[in-house]
Amino acid sequence: MLSHLVIGQSLYFGDSLFYIVTFLLLMWIIKVVAWGPVTKMMQERADKISNDIDSAEKSRNDAADLVQKRQAALANSRSEAQTIVNDAKTNGQQQREQIVNQAQADVQTMKQNAQKDIEQERQDALSNARNDVADLSIEIASKIIQRELKGDDQKALIDSYIEGLGKQHES
Amino acid sequence: MNGDPVSTFQFLGLTFSTANVVSGLVVFVLMVAVIFFTSRKLAMKPTKGQNFLEWLIDFTNGILKGSIPAGDVGKFGLWGFTLFLFLFLSNELGLFIQVATRGGATIVRSPTSDPMTTLTFSLMTMMIAQFAGVWKLGYKRHFTNYLKPFVFWLPISIFEEFTNFLTLGLRIFGVIFSGEMLLGVIWDLAASHGIATMIVAVPIEMAWQGFSAFLGAIQAFVFVTLSSVYISQKLEVEE
Repeated sequence: MLSHLVIGQSLYFGDSLFYIVTFLLLMWIIKVVAWGPVTKMMQERADKISNDIDSAEKSRNDAADLVQKRQAALANSRSEAQTIVNDAKTNGQQQREQIVNQAQADVQTMKQNAQKDIEQERQDALSNARNDVADLSIEIASKIIQRELKGDDQKALIDSYIEGLGKQHES
Repeated sequence: MNGDPVSTFQFLGLTFSTANVVSGLVVFVLMVAVIFFTSRKLAMKPTKGQNFLEWLIDFTNGILKGSIPAGDVGKFGLWGFTLFLFLFLSNELGLFIQVATRGGATIVRSPTSDPMTTLTFSLMTMMIAQFAGVWKLGYKRHFTNYLKPFVFWLPISIFEEFTNFLTLGLRIFGVIFSGEMLLGVIWDLAASHGIATMIVAVPIEMAWQGFSAFLGAIQAFVFVTLSSVYISQKLEVEE
């Protein structure tokens, strides 16, 4: 085996050439079949992982922002609701007072109107009665006296009697 | 093995050793098969074959990163990967398959148990180192590196190139060749006195085979490591 290393023996340089060619061919095949695709895949994976880390960080920040916004909105809506309730309360109070006042005023007016009407009707009834009594008296008097009197004079006389009667009745 | 006849043939005026050519082709075919079948169905989530391949690539890149500056590792990655896998398979091949012709000349054995093969690879490393130095530093700075630390260092620098070349190639050759030779010797012992020696020798043979397999892996690793060291020395200006 070692004899070919002795000077003078034929060294098989062909082997060197063979191995260099084989090695280069192998390198080319490995590059095409495996090295290129695999290193590309590894690079892609490294990129993807770093991207994922970045996007995870970003979405974490987004989520935190969102939480903050939500909390602010919640607090806002709470105070808003408080205001709305308060407004409604004061409105209701005002309206209640208004309605009650209105009702009181209405009642007052109605009462006054009713009193006025009653008074009016009493006056009407009184004057009607007065007229009827006067006419009746005249008829009765004319029948009693059987004498033609001047209607107007008699009537005035009787009215004055009846006036006195009414005053006596009122008091 | 020392006195065994060597089968050679002539081609294009060059002498070829049949054993080296056939073994080299076996390693070539094995390697293409390994690479081809592990690199099918590449995916973002790696499966078995891809995991193995990526682990191997990371491993050889790790060897290179040990000495070559990080920015230049990518340019030598493919070379380091191919070299490591080729040497590893070459070292292990002869431990499991040894084919000889009837005349006694071996046809299939570790390609790296022949100094011609290992010196070819170490010569390749030295040439890559020279080219890398010129590519990285330019001719002037590359060659003035030989004059560092002072001008009279030049002969030693040049001599160092040759010793590097020889030690790199002969180290791996020595380990693999001796491993295979001892395997042969143990086998001769086993066959010498029938069944009695066989019982004694077979466990020794197996132990030595395992140890040689380990040494083969170590030598492939050492070869790539030293190659990357020699290359990295040429990539930087000596102070």
